[in-house]
Amino acid sequence: MSPSDPRRTVRDRIERRALAVLAVVTTLLLVGMFYYPVGAVFREAFIVDGRATLGLFLEFLRDPFYFGDLARLLRGDPLREVLPSLLSFERPSSIVGFTAYQAFLSTILSVILGVPLAYLLARYEFRGRRTLRSLTIVPFVLPSILVAVGFRATFSTNGPVNTALGFFGLGPVELLFTLEAIVIAHAFYNAPLVARVTLAAWESVDASAIETARSLGAGPFRAFRDVVAPQLYPSVLMGATLTFVFTFGTFPIVLALGDASLMTVEVRVFRLVERFDYAEAAALAIIELAISLTILYGYLRYEAKQTMQSRGARPLPRRPLRPPALTARELVPRIGLGVYSVVAFVLFVVPMVSLVIASLTTDGGSWTLDNYRFLLERQVEGAAFQVQPWPAIRNSLLFGVATLAVALPMGITVSVLTTRRYRGRKVVDVIAMAPLAVSGLIVGLGLLRGPVFGIEFGGYRLIIGGAIAIVAAHAVAAYPFVVRTVAPGLQNLDPRLVESARSLGASRARALVDIELPLVWPGVVAGAAFVFAISIGEFSATVLLATGTDQFTMPIAIERFIGRRLGPATAMGVVLLVVTSLSFIVIDRLGGEQRNGGL
Amino acid sequence: MRRRQYLTAAGATTVAALAGCAELQTPDDNGDDTSDDGTTTDNGEETLVVSTYSSFLDAPSIGPGELVQQRFEEETGVNLEWESPDGQVDHYIQRAQDGASIDSDLYLGITTEDLVRVDEQLDDPLFASGLTIDGQDDIIDGLDFDPEDRAVPFNTGYICPVYDSTETDAPETFEELREADHAGNLIAQEPGSTVGLAFMLHTIYQYGEEEYLDFWADLQEGGATFLGSWADAYDAWMGGESPMVISYSTDQVFAAGDDRDLDKHQIQFLDDQAYANPEGMAVFEQADNPDLAEEFLEFMLTPEIQGEVAENNVVFPATETAELSEEYAELAHEPPEAVTFAYDDLVGNIDDWIDQWDREIAG
Repeated sequence: MSPSDPRRTVRDRIERRALAVLAVVTTLLLVGMFYYPVGAVFREAFIVDGRATLGLFLEFLRDPFYFGDLARLLRGDPLREVLPSLLSFERPSSIVGFTAYQAFLSTILSVILGVPLAYLLARYEFRGRRTLRSLTIVPFVLPSILVAVGFRATFSTNGPVNTALGFFGLGPVELLFTLEAIVIAHAFYNAPLVARVTLAAWESVDASAIETARSLGAGPFRAFRDVVAPQLYPSVLMGATLTFVFTFGTFPIVLALGDASLMTVEVRVFRLVERFDYAEAAALAIIELAISLTILYGYLRYEAKQTMQSRGARPLPRRPLRPPALTARELVPRIGLGVYSVVAFVLFVVPMVSLVIASLTTDGGSWTLDNYRFLLERQVEGAAFQVQPWPAIRNSLLFGVATLAVALPMGITVSVLTTRRYRGRKVVDVIAMAPLAVSGLIVGLGLLRGPVFGIEFGGYRLIIGGAIAIVAAHAVAAYPFVVRTVAPGLQNLDPRLVESARSLGASRARALVDIELPLVWPGVVAGAAFVFAISIGEFSATVLLATGTDQFTMPIAIERFIGRRLGPATAMGVVLLVVTSLSFIVIDRLGGEQRNGGL
Repeated sequence: MRRRQYLTAAGATTVAALAGCAELQTPDDNGDDTSDDGTTTDNGEETLVVSTYSSFLDAPSIGPGELVQQRFEEETGVNLEWESPDGQVDHYIQRAQDGASIDSDLYLGITTEDLVRVDEQLDDPLFASGLTIDGQDDIIDGLDFDPEDRAVPFNTGYICPVYDSTETDAPETFEELREADHAGNLIAQEPGSTVGLAFMLHTIYQYGEEEYLDFWADLQEGGATFLGSWADAYDAWMGGESPMVISYSTDQVFAAGDDRDLDKHQIQFLDDQAYANPEGMAVFEQADNPDLAEEFLEFMLTPEIQGEVAENNVVFPATETAELSEEYAELAHEPPEAVTFAYDDLVGNIDDWIDQWDREIAG
């Protein structure tokens, strides 16, 4: 093709504007489906009886029910009376204190359980490794009602864990409805997240850097500490930050697995929304958001300082899981992994198996297919107004794929925009991450009172709903994951790569697609997996935006199949488990492990 | 009028362009025009839109929706359409607050607490008041919870402890329950759930608003567990975590259906009482078809439907004339004394009661 080829110039023009167009579309989606609806609800926190005020925030800050000792200090209690309990390490009894405390513990446990999995998957070769890698984030999509069913079955007084412990003369462990149960359930959701982002970083580590270090005389431990570990810290910390933010906003798990004495901020927001106390609910949610965003901002500042320039990776070779020699150096890490797999089996696999068993047993304890028969009957004979399994499966998959198509370009665009150098870009980045941190209840309320009921202008109401709105809402909720898995990689790329491509006439978008993205491909695939997971698992926005039961998804079907017996809902849960597992395997196979792996 | 037509047409274009994504509504487009909001179908049949909670339609173990629809359509030749928004009655309160239209004719399943919230949140009426319909006189005394006759009860549940008698004895009174050896056996629900709220209200009925928190403090001290929803609590109870749970007095109906040992599903009425949770039907003020809606209410109170809906929904009928099968009556237990707070007792109190409970238990 000559440069004057008209097709070429049209394509060029599209390419040259592609990023700008994507940026505009992204902004519109975010404003329409997130910032405007959420802003409208938040606004109420600042207006009491028609007057602007910060009074509600002060009330919260001074109420020991929310802020404990801090509130006592603010109220003017003398420091010497408050200090002893402020400095103690006991579980805080105030709502905000307890919420932060359980989020902190959940984060630590998620890192402890997530990093070894990333190590296993990044550094060892074994049968089923790729499948295990694909399935890592399956727990992420399970509705909490089902996780609760699985956990209660697993850890109940006469459940499998206590039976096994009893076999060794240990236990029983009374875990349920305690802080520990909540923390473990949070790790069930979030350790996979930590593992997946850490794995993406580990797979991007350049083998030649280690070979250089080793050739300069560094031992394997030193090479790991000086070369590999610094490339992993940002990802581990990112996984930890996201875990903290998610568990700080935790809600259904606390209600299902914890006693009412363990109340989190989000549970309280739920109460306030339930009684139509929107101003107070909004104020509390803003406090919650401020704490989450502060943590996120701290992480993003740290991430920005990590400038390790890389020109892409030749990945580390994997070792066989079977030790090649019986030396301590070969055996110790493998024994460690062995212990880890037992723990991981109990915490991740047994609850899911328990769920499957629950779907196959009657309340009396005998085997049955009745719950699946119910799904089939509902599909074949169900009335038109009833939720049916197949449309729910189909919708979930369609929305998932459509969300991928929207959220990936959105996330990559925002990644490019936030890794450019300009003042305040971290603030932009934090604002772009807000969908991760804003109270889900407030987002739901905002969507309801905005797009669902209609946004009023000039006497008319613009009502937004249906499939496209659902996909838009999913994309808004999911795209931050793409940013967080893609941006760090882009940031670390040698800018000269792009510069030379541009000087050869490539557009910015062309350079991005042809040069940068292949180099950060593990991050893109990890982001895609998260996007799909978020879309499949989404409940509240979907149920609000759907204009009919024919747009309902699997999580909604599960909720609707709960009657006075949980069996049919668990069967639908198993369907969700199977469908999403297969989808993740397909996504990973399509995405490939390493697009440039052959180089 | 021309302007109106133009706007409707413009709205239709938007719909087509975005494949059902957006719709433009004029301010007065509240269903006064029967041709575009579906109150009449193409073949001229009338349509009644009934809103209800989703388990009335979808739940496998309960859910009489299909039955009600079939019978009503057969009897009247009217099309019945269901709506079940996630927020239930709150959804319509929110719509009214934000000036969004209400395209439904009546709500099935409204509770006393719902009515209180409607009145606390809205200045204009959401439901039509002063209903007089056939069959109203048959309603059991004490179930009628709305002094303004907006809501007509159609069924009721009773909330009480259910226990496994192979594991524990049951307390016969609230005073016995609050003792440590019984309290430690109990799984209850937070007042954020329907069942939890009913049981909390029962304790206020029993001890008054000054002392109910002491009762709950004793339960907590004695080792009772309070979970978020009925499903969570019941699942934990079935798993053997504790031998006693707060549930419905119809529990044995399910247990018998599942071939469970009924000794493990014993009902205990504390102080010979249970808290009644009557569910009512109310016609929306904005209803397109108020007459048809009232016809539906009358249909729901007929003896045969009362019996069938109660059995399908696994609750109790609201009328004295209901026809229940003997088998059902044997398994579904009615308390010697049903107690419940009427509308006037709850107005202005309920939010504070729940808030104080939160602060007592979580503070």
